Amino acid sequence: MTEESSPNKNSSDRPIPKEAAGVFDAAGRSLFEALRVSFIILKVIMIVLVVLFLASGFRTVGSDEQALVLRFGKIRGVGDQRVLGPGLHWVFPYPIDTIIKIPVEKRTNLPINSFWYFQTREETLPAGPKTQIRVPEKLDPLKDGYCIVRSQKQEILGGAAGSDYNIIHCKWQLTYKIDDAERFFRNIHIEDVKPGQSYAEVIESSIKPLLQGLFEDTVVTAIVNYTIDQALFLSQDRITGHVAKLLQEKLDTIQSGIRVVSVQLTDSTWPRQVNDAFLASLRASQESQKTISEARGYAEKTLNEAAGPIAEELLAAIENKEISEVNSTGSPQDEQELLWSQLAGEGREVIAEAKAYRTKTVESAKANAEYLQKILPEYQKRPELVLQDIYQEAIKYVLNNADEKIIIQPTKGIKGEELRILINRDPAIKRKSQKEK
Amino acid sequence: MKNIAITIFIVLVVAILALQLVSFQVRETESALVTTFGKPTDEITSPGWYFKWPAPIQWVYKFDSRMKVLEAEVGETTTKGAVPIIVNTYVVWKIAQPLKFFNAVGTIREAESKLRSQISDTQNRIIGKHDFGEFVNSDSTKIKFKEIEDEMLTDLQGAVSDNYGIEAAMLGIKQLKISEDVSKDVFERMRAERNRRTEATIAQGNAEATRIKTDADYKKTELLAAAQARAKAIRAQGDAEAAKYYKMLEVHPKLAMFLRGIETLKEVLKERATIVLPADTEPFKLLKEIPDLESGHSGSK
Repeated sequence: MTEESSPNKNSSDRPIPKEAAGVFDAAGRSLFEALRVSFIILKVIMIVLVVLFLASGFRTVGSDEQALVLRFGKIRGVGDQRVLGPGLHWVFPYPIDTIIKIPVEKRTNLPINSFWYFQTREETLPAGPKTQIRVPEKLDPLKDGYCIVRSQKQEILGGAAGSDYNIIHCKWQLTYKIDDAERFFRNIHIEDVKPGQSYAEVIESSIKPLLQGLFEDTVVTAIVNYTIDQALFLSQDRITGHVAKLLQEKLDTIQSGIRVVSVQLTDSTWPRQVNDAFLASLRASQESQKTISEARGYAEKTLNEAAGPIAEELLAAIENKEISEVNSTGSPQDEQELLWSQLAGEGREVIAEAKAYRTKTVESAKANAEYLQKILPEYQKRPELVLQDIYQEAIKYVLNNADEKIIIQPTKGIKGEELRILINRDPAIKRKSQKEK
Repeated sequence: MKNIAITIFIVLVVAILALQLVSFQVRETESALVTTFGKPTDEITSPGWYFKWPAPIQWVYKFDSRMKVLEAEVGETTTKGAVPIIVNTYVVWKIAQPLKFFNAVGTIREAESKLRSQISDTQNRIIGKHDFGEFVNSDSTKIKFKEIEDEMLTDLQGAVSDNYGIEAAMLGIKQLKISEDVSKDVFERMRAERNRRTEATIAQGNAEATRIKTDADYKKTELLAAAQARAKAIRAQGDAEAAKYYKMLEVHPKLAMFLRGIETLKEVLKERATIVLPADTEPFKLLKEIPDLESGHSGSK
């Protein structure tokens, strides 16, 4: 295409070769023609190459990336301009400029399992029937991973002080990202990118041993400061915070440009070898909690039965009153009265009984007095009859209510004669026993 | 015109090729060493574009100046108190002085092997100076782990910096372990410790529960006593109020006593009573005979 179109374009140049054609012979002419065409081809190729060369300077920086431009090997620019943000950029093509794109937003997780005990392949499989796992008696320092934690500080027992420590297993996860592209690029060794690999992948695999080393070091140094109970149950948040801080310090020391996003303690346990003792201990503390909560329940029930929901308040008021009785102002007294009025349970019964007694006593005294007042005028008129009347009425009432009435003819005159009557002491009981029969 | 363009192009190409021969770039991640007739003459540690004599005269050797990590072999060593421990040390290092490195080491592989033997030496020496109690201690103020690591780093730095041109940026112990037999003893102790704690937990729980219960019982007693006291006061109040009415009975005490007696009789014999009476009491006399009303009546008249 270009070969055909080029002669037309360059038609203005034609007169010169035509004049020359008269001078040279046919062979020379054809050679000249061939040379002319090749020059044109060469020129076109040159132009295309230059265009391609310049176009190759356009580079896209992804939204999660930052780029550094190396001009003759040295990072270009000053201050903020040293780092190129996302977008399309033009740089001089190789060998003048080289662009290095570093993924800065990507958060990468790195699981650290080197503090866990050795497990065979089958043991790590999650599902399947529980095959009997043989727990070795000892830990092999070459195979099993673990952390050493300090013992509870206690009354020092002579010379053995300090040699006391415990063992735990733990699993961690580190999440990190590249924070400072320049520092990272300059200081951290990255393998060369092989065909079929992306730069991001190479970065991840290259820094893994470094991060692993720093992380494990941090864990080992940090965790010796904690006791086994802190590491397993009580202060895991504090430990992860401590590890994250120390790790960041280490990463900053070597100017890695890597930022710790988070540190997680994904799993932690006591050694399998002491499983029984730990389980027993857990059970004991649960049991103990249960005993205590049962006691609390008992206490609540007891107080409720005694005085209802206001028991504690009332008790406090009573005790308080005993103390501040001297300067008894009106209000606490009223408060206490209010509490008494809300009394429930056994206490209320006691009070209610007393109140009933009071009412009954007063009422009956009043009734007696009023009755006397009422019959007094009549009695004064006819004392005998009134008395008889009251007496007979009473006898009638009593005898009507009696279960058994026995009337005997007393024999007069014979001395030493006695009468024996066998009475069931309680007719109600007698009746009951008859029923049963 | 055309010839000039072609000439420029050719000159450019030649110039670039020539520049390739007489110049070189040192990247931000590298350092370089220039040798003249095989003799090191120039050490370049800052990045940029540099000139040199073409190949047979001057050669350029480039070294990676970034940090690499090296993990030493797991090694058993002993602390000051002859406690055997197993440590796994790593070191973060880089080539800091190309000349020294070129002369004394040469390759990365060689550097790693030299570092390994140096680490192992440093490790044995420094750890041998410290007690095990400085690694782990029940008194956390006595733990000197970090200091030991720093001491090891300083020792290593001194050894490799001057001799090999290597800078050790960081050193740490990534695994601290004990020998297999000791682990068994540790488990024994952990078990004993746990059992002791278990017993303590149970005892504490029981004591607490007892305290709570006793406390509740005491409170109950206290409350009921207060209630009884109050009840007594209420009863007394009732008695006092009733006493006011007793005054009204004073108009005829004997009658009052009689009425009271009747009332009591009724009350006491209300139910479940068996009454045995002689037949000559009123009104059972009537069972025996008709009373002589006339004589009695007239008699009373």
